[in-house]
Amino acid sequence: MSADASDLSLVRRVQRGDKGAFDALVLKYQHKLVKLVMRYVRNPAEAEDIAQEAFIKAYRALPQFRGDSAFYTWLYRIAINTAKNAVVSRDRSPVEYDLDRNNNDESYDMQGRMKDSETPEGLVLTDEIRSTVNAAIDALPEDLRTAIVLRELEGLSYEEIAAAMDCPVGTVRSRIFRAREAIDRRLREVFEGGLGRAEELG
Amino acid sequence: MNEELDSQLSAMFDDELPPAECELLARRLSRDEYLKARWGRYAIVGAVIRAERGVRLNAPLAGRVNAVLLAEPALAAHTTAPRDRRYARLRWWQPLAGAAVAASVATVSILWLRAQTPGGAALVAHVPAQVNVASTGASGQGDSYVVPRPKPPAALVPSTELANYVVAHSMFSNPVARGNLLSAFMTSETPPGGAEEPQSDVKALAH
Repeated sequence: MSADASDLSLVRRVQRGDKGAFDALVLKYQHKLVKLVMRYVRNPAEAEDIAQEAFIKAYRALPQFRGDSAFYTWLYRIAINTAKNAVVSRDRSPVEYDLDRNNNDESYDMQGRMKDSETPEGLVLTDEIRSTVNAAIDALPEDLRTAIVLRELEGLSYEEIAAAMDCPVGTVRSRIFRAREAIDRRLREVFEGGLGRAEELG
Repeated sequence: MNEELDSQLSAMFDDELPPAECELLARRLSRDEYLKARWGRYAIVGAVIRAERGVRLNAPLAGRVNAVLLAEPALAAHTTAPRDRRYARLRWWQPLAGAAVAASVATVSILWLRAQTPGGAALVAHVPAQVNVASTGASGQGDSYVVPRPKPPAALVPSTELANYVVAHSMFSNPVARGNLLSAFMTSETPPGGAEEPQSDVKALAH
């Protein structure tokens, strides 16, 4: 199995002019990228802006991407540079908000969130999504839960998970898929309900 | 939506799908909103498991990026990938190489077909003779060019002396053998000494 084959196939499509394929890459990496950028800026709204800028830079630079490294490695590098530049330019300009860097991550998050005018329903929905996914994971049979956690939390490959769980690779693929299906079923309900609530709030 | 497709999507999300299947699914994923929404939720599940705190799980980031990119030209419209550009520089010689290969194949085929047809051996055998003419013409030593006649297939033609001998001693010979010998002699159009003529052509060419 060649690593990064799925990203590369999407990247090649973008390079051939298919913007929809880039959308799939954004959907896949947006949370990871925002999390990464938050090491530099702490404010979720600002982190999203920087992540957005990084994605757009990546799109424009994609013709130069040759696939020598993994796509996400390349993307992360762009995001880090964008975040560093944002921090430098923010330090030069008048401070809009100041964070006590000795505080823990959670309080940074809360201060950042309170600055974000878009967050009220977003916060509610994010918490609801989180609790729904966690509840769905808890409700999974042991073998499915172990497989999905080893994959998402530990980042193990299917082969490594198969070795850890002493089962064929095909079984691992099936367990991870069934775990995602079970969680996704619950998640869809939240999204449908969440969208309705957001409309009410608007 | 069929389960196999969703299973492939899950494996592709984890980079565990064979590249050939990835190509097909990537095409579908880029166009199918249902698959794309599911793909996005797989990312959310991963983010929750990794406890990516502070990240808004319903962030409209993808929509915002998409909105900005809508105003951008598609990449293929104004540029090509670097690897493609590198190959594009080499492409000019490809038609020439193709034509050269086609010409070589055609030449070999013609020579082979000539060699296979009756009398083709004689045609092929002419080639060195023509080369000799060209070389002698260039040196000014010979002005004539004589095309050698094809050598007739060797036939059993009895000599005149043998025919006279058979007729003179017909009373002692077997009637069947005598008949065969005489009929061969009568039907032969080539004079017994005619087989020597091509040799004279060759001698003329040698000059």
